[in-house]
Amino acid sequence: MTDNEIDTNSEEFMDSKKEMDKLVYESIKEKEVKPNAIFAKLSDLTRSMPVTKDVVNWARVNSMWPLQFGLACCAIELMDFGSSRIDAERKGYLLFRGTPRQCDVMIIAGWVTKSMVPEIKRLYEQMSKPRYVVAFGECATCGGPWWESYNIIKGIDEVLPVDVFVAGCPPRPENLFAALMKLQKKVGGNVEG
Amino acid sequence: MTVTRINVGPVHPSTHGVIRLVVDLEGDTIVNVEPHIGFLHRGVEKLAESRMYMQIPPYMEKLDYVAPMSYNEAYVATVETAMGIQVSERSQYIRVILLELQRIASHLLSLGTLCNDIGQTFTAFMWAFKDRDIVLDLLQEATGSRMFYVNMRLGGLREDLPADFSEHTLNTMDYLEKRIPEYVAYLEKNPIFTERMKGIGVITRDEAKQLGVTGPVLRASGVNYDVRRSNAYYVYSKLHFTPKSLQDGDNFSRYKVRILEIQESVRLVKSALKALPEGNAKGMQVKLRSPNPVNRISVVNRELPKGECMMYMVADPQKPYRLSIRSPSFINLAAINHMAKGERFADLFGILGTLDIIMGCVDR
Repeated sequence: MTDNEIDTNSEEFMDSKKEMDKLVYESIKEKEVKPNAIFAKLSDLTRSMPVTKDVVNWARVNSMWPLQFGLACCAIELMDFGSSRIDAERKGYLLFRGTPRQCDVMIIAGWVTKSMVPEIKRLYEQMSKPRYVVAFGECATCGGPWWESYNIIKGIDEVLPVDVFVAGCPPRPENLFAALMKLQKKVGGNVEG
Repeated sequence: MTVTRINVGPVHPSTHGVIRLVVDLEGDTIVNVEPHIGFLHRGVEKLAESRMYMQIPPYMEKLDYVAPMSYNEAYVATVETAMGIQVSERSQYIRVILLELQRIASHLLSLGTLCNDIGQTFTAFMWAFKDRDIVLDLLQEATGSRMFYVNMRLGGLREDLPADFSEHTLNTMDYLEKRIPEYVAYLEKNPIFTERMKGIGVITRDEAKQLGVTGPVLRASGVNYDVRRSNAYYVYSKLHFTPKSLQDGDNFSRYKVRILEIQESVRLVKSALKALPEGNAKGMQVKLRSPNPVNRISVVNRELPKGECMMYMVADPQKPYRLSIRSPSFINLAAINHMAKGERFADLFGILGTLDIIMGCVDR
């Protein structure tokens, strides 16, 4: 038996299952479903199950939803990344969401001005955990050509924890594809070429 | 009725770039729109004062990142005027070809994002980006880069055109000539599209003149003004360029003017390729020390895809003393309040889409 399999005959598992059954049975008996209680118990159950962890991770890795959020030039390449030539949807990247609450990845595409920092921070905090940040392009990585400018911060890593840096001014859309594959590997997926 | 104040942006899927709009609504009708800008300000004009002349083009390209080459060319032309450098005829033709290709790419992007904003989701966006990629491939073939080119040199270009470029471009132009009517049929036969475009966001001829808007926004309001004809630079007069204008001044005519301009650009590229003379197209190599300027003050105006750009430069030896840029997007944005007053809130994004502003160009 490997670590990833669950011993369904174990005492621990049977106890948990019994508790679940009891909850469901009670809700049927009282003619009032208590989804919150059931889900809370379910998540307690799944947290201890290696198989379910793998399933959750598999789903997470294969549905990296980026936030629809562009700052400057690199955002044009971000749009191109979403269009037909690259076909990013085949890896599950391409569900650009308008609200940060549904997103996993934040792609910082462009230079970050001092007046944008509080907005970016707020968006990042609105994203549900686990959340990842990709610094796309020179400006988001280190300030780029604006390193002497009075209004640009020298890299988004001064503000947020960054998972993947992408070099280039602007990087090609293929580079973003490679960066997201790198991020998938980091999250724990076994991604093939 | 009470007035509700709504905040849009600075990060919103339909604002291209980062712009904040404070909208006052009466029910669903817009009373007032107040744009708040400056989220992308990085001080290009100030930075230019501390750079050598030929270190500046990469900064100029990042002003309008949808049509970078146009700004690059406008800046290089300003320096050429300051230094009294002549551009060879072959270079003039090649510059016109590349600039018109850039205009096609810019208008296609504007078309794609506009359709995305008004709910014509994704088909037109995918089409426009596919065709834009094909045009970008040509530019990549000619300059070696996909988005930022920096290929203009004093008196010419960095490289002459590659051998197969002419054939590839003619093929692509033939393809686009067939392709544009498909866009028109797909969009204009669709009642959702026409309902949301016709009669929405009207700006009259007089208002447009008073606000100083330029480019397709002005030409859609019935003013037939185009720098390529009124102040014909390079070989535009030889290529028999005619500006396109429409009368209504609504969303639909702004979209239609861009379609007509794509077709005109296709024609210009074709005729310029046919008339392309032999000769030297290479400009001066980039050296840290450039020739000393002969004119203290030089002014150049150019027709960019977004409108008229004017560059004003006071030249010192080796560095500009002052570089001032009249960016078309910034002045076109001022018209949004006049266009959106009295329209429904949902149409604000159609208006923003047809204005086709680039925030890098607005904030500078």
